[in-house]
Amino acid sequence: MKTLKRTPLALIALSLGCGMAVAAAERIFTTPNPAAELKRLFPAAAAFSPLAGEPLHFKAFAADPKANPPAAPIGIAFWTTDLVPQEHGYHGPIHILVGMDMTGVITGAVVTYDSEPYGYFSVEPPKFAAQFKGKSFRDPFRVGADVDAVSRASISIGSAARAIRDSTRIVARQLLPPEAVK
Amino acid sequence: MDPVVESWGDILGPQALDLALLGAFMAFALVGFFRKSVRLKYATLVAAVGYMGFWKSRLVSVVDLFAVADLSLPIFKYSLPTYLLWVFAIGSTILWGRLYCGRICAFGALTQLMDPVVPRKMRVEIPVRIEKHANLIKYGLLVGVLAYFLVTRDVSVYRYVEPFWMFGLFGTTGMWIGLAVLLLATVFVRNLYCRFLCPVGAALGLLSNLTVFRIKRWSECSTCKICEKTCEWGAIRGPKIIASECVRCDDCERLYLDQQKCPHWIILRRKGNMFVSTPAR
Repeated sequence: MKTLKRTPLALIALSLGCGMAVAAAERIFTTPNPAAELKRLFPAAAAFSPLAGEPLHFKAFAADPKANPPAAPIGIAFWTTDLVPQEHGYHGPIHILVGMDMTGVITGAVVTYDSEPYGYFSVEPPKFAAQFKGKSFRDPFRVGADVDAVSRASISIGSAARAIRDSTRIVARQLLPPEAVK
Repeated sequence: MDPVVESWGDILGPQALDLALLGAFMAFALVGFFRKSVRLKYATLVAAVGYMGFWKSRLVSVVDLFAVADLSLPIFKYSLPTYLLWVFAIGSTILWGRLYCGRICAFGALTQLMDPVVPRKMRVEIPVRIEKHANLIKYGLLVGVLAYFLVTRDVSVYRYVEPFWMFGLFGTTGMWIGLAVLLLATVFVRNLYCRFLCPVGAALGLLSNLTVFRIKRWSECSTCKICEKTCEWGAIRGPKIIASECVRCDDCERLYLDQQKCPHWIILRRKGNMFVSTPAR
C-alpha cells in the first residue's frame, strides 16, 4: 500500500520536472511570416517592410518603398507579444497582430494563437478582434464598456484588451508622427 | 500620450463583486461544514452548481495544473478571484481534506445533488476489491494528461478528461454525448467521476495526505461498520478513513455525534449506568 501511494507522487514529480525543463527550453513563437494577416489589416498596402525596429514592427506602404522619392508608410503593424511580452491571459500570452494607421486609429487586429482554455468562445471568434477596428489608441479599452465582456472568460478578454491598449499606446508614442500623438 | 497608469480602483473595481460573492459563498460552505448541517450542505451544493457552475464556470481544472507545470500563470492582480479559489482549494485540503471536491466544485455538487433524487435501489455498490483499483485510475489520468500536455502543449485536451466545460454550455456533439454517458453512469455509481476519474481530485487527494485536522475515530470504530456502510464515497475501510478519498461530506461525523446511533456513546452510557445508580422511583 505504501508503494502504491508513492508511485503516483514520484511520477508526477518526475513529469513536472521534465515539463519545466521543456518549458524553459521552448517558446511558442508567433506566426513567422504573417503575410496574409498583414494584407487583411492593410488591404490597400502594396508592400510591407520586414519585422524590424525598436519596438519591433512592420511598416505598410501604399507604393513600393524602394521607388524614388521613397513613399511614406500608411500604417504600422505589430505583435502584442513583442510589445507587451509580460501580458498573460489565463494560460500564457495571447498572440495578436495589430494594425494602426499613422493617425493612431486601429485598422484591424488578428488573434493568431492563444492557449486560453475558453479561447474558443472568447478571443478566437473573429467577432472579438473585429471590434477593435476603428478604435483609437486613446480609447479606454475597458471590458464591459468599450470592449464587449464575455462571461466565464473575463481573464482572457481582459488580457487581450489590455495587450491591445498598451501596445497601441507604446507604438503611438514611439513610432507615430508627433502631431498624431499630441 | 503617456503609458497607462492603473490605480488600485481600476484594478479592483471590475473584480470587487466577484471577489465578494466568491468569499461569501466560501464562508457559507464553511459554516455548513462546521455545523455539520445537512440543510446548509445542500444549500451549498445548489449554490455551487448555480453560481460556481453555470454563472461563473469557476472550477479548479486540470488547466490550472498545466499552468503550474509550465509556470504560465494568470497575472495575479487581474485574476484575484481565481487565485482566491486556488488558495481556498489548497488551504482547505491541507486543513481538513478534500472539502473543495465535496462542496465547492460545481460538478461534484451536481453529482451529489443526484443523491436525494435518484432512488436508493438504483445505486450499485462497487465491491471493495474493485473500488480499491478504480480509485487509482484518477492518478493514472493525472499523470497521463500532464505528460500529454507537456509533450504537445495542447491545453484543449482538458475537454476530454474533465466535463467542467459543460457549465460554459459550449461543446461539440461528441463532448455532449460523452457527458451524457458519464452522467447516466453516475446515476448508478455515486459520484463516479469524482471518485475514480477526476485528475484535479487526484491532485487534491495527494495533497490530502498532509491534512492536519482529520476525522476522529473511536476505538469502537475497529469493529463497528455503521460509518463504513454510510460513506457514499467508499472512503472508510474498516477502522481507517482513506484521506485521499474522503471529501468531508459529514455523513460519518454526524453519526459520531448521534448519541442514539454511535456505539461509542451507547457503550459509554451503559458503562455510566453501571456506576451511577439509577434514581429510586
